[in-house]
Amino acid sequence: MDINAVGFGNTVDMLSNAISGADLEHSAIANNIANVNTPNYRRQSVSFKDMLAAAEQDSNGDSLTLDTNDDRQIASGGVPAGQAASFAPAVQTDDTDQMRPDGSNVDVDAEMARLSQNSGYSQTMSQLLSVQFARLREAITEQTH
Amino acid sequence: MSDMNSSIDVSASGLSAERLAMDVIANNIANANTTHTPQGGAFKRQLVVYSEKNGQTGDAGEGDAPGGGVEALGIVQDNSPDRLVFDPGNPDADGRGYVHYPNVQIVKEMVDLMAASRAYQANVTAIQESRNMSNAALGLLRS
Repeated sequence: MDINAVGFGNTVDMLSNAISGADLEHSAIANNIANVNTPNYRRQSVSFKDMLAAAEQDSNGDSLTLDTNDDRQIASGGVPAGQAASFAPAVQTDDTDQMRPDGSNVDVDAEMARLSQNSGYSQTMSQLLSVQFARLREAITEQTH
Repeated sequence: MSDMNSSIDVSASGLSAERLAMDVIANNIANANTTHTPQGGAFKRQLVVYSEKNGQTGDAGEGDAPGGGVEALGIVQDNSPDRLVFDPGNPDADGRGYVHYPNVQIVKEMVDLMAASRAYQANVTAIQESRNMSNAALGLLRS
């Protein structure tokens, strides 16, 4: 049996997408902070969480998958393991909220908050991924409690 | 983790930009009373001009990668008028008895220095968070 078919596939894909999205967002935030004193700079952001949710949904908007291997089992919508939509987050330039006389719209306090939030998010996702692999290891080694 | 390295490069460019700003401000403060320069006349206050690297200025639109940090375009002179002090006895005094002092205001320089120092710290924090995130990802190998 394919390892993706035992239910790890979607979760691992989703978590690794989340981590790479957070990576990209971190670059954007770091760029905003580096340009905190650049006049006329427009802040950048990555809205990867919307895309992450979209990548997990099928055309009906269902996001939970119940795999079946028998006609009598309950099936559900969602994206089958390994067939999630492609995840390609893009950097967007934020042209709103001009708040500084030098034409920049970077609020360094907000950027620091986002930096901290994004880092925590990324570390949480890494932790969840490590839990997934620990479960897989338990299954492989037939560990009992 | 090429992304992670590039975000550290971005923050490093911020560090060197803020460091340059602090160097220029230190030079302004050191020369706050310099009345002679090789170019003649009093010292002129200097400023750093910044630009985003890989310039996505104006309506940059959307791209796949964030910009590459910040770079200093150059150091420019502040051409506002000199500070004139009436001191006829001073050997530097002009015909009307005024001495031309640099257009450096110490208080303003101190404020700029503080802003640059805080921005430097913000970039350091960004690098630390980068490292925390890579460590968490590397921790997957240890679990």
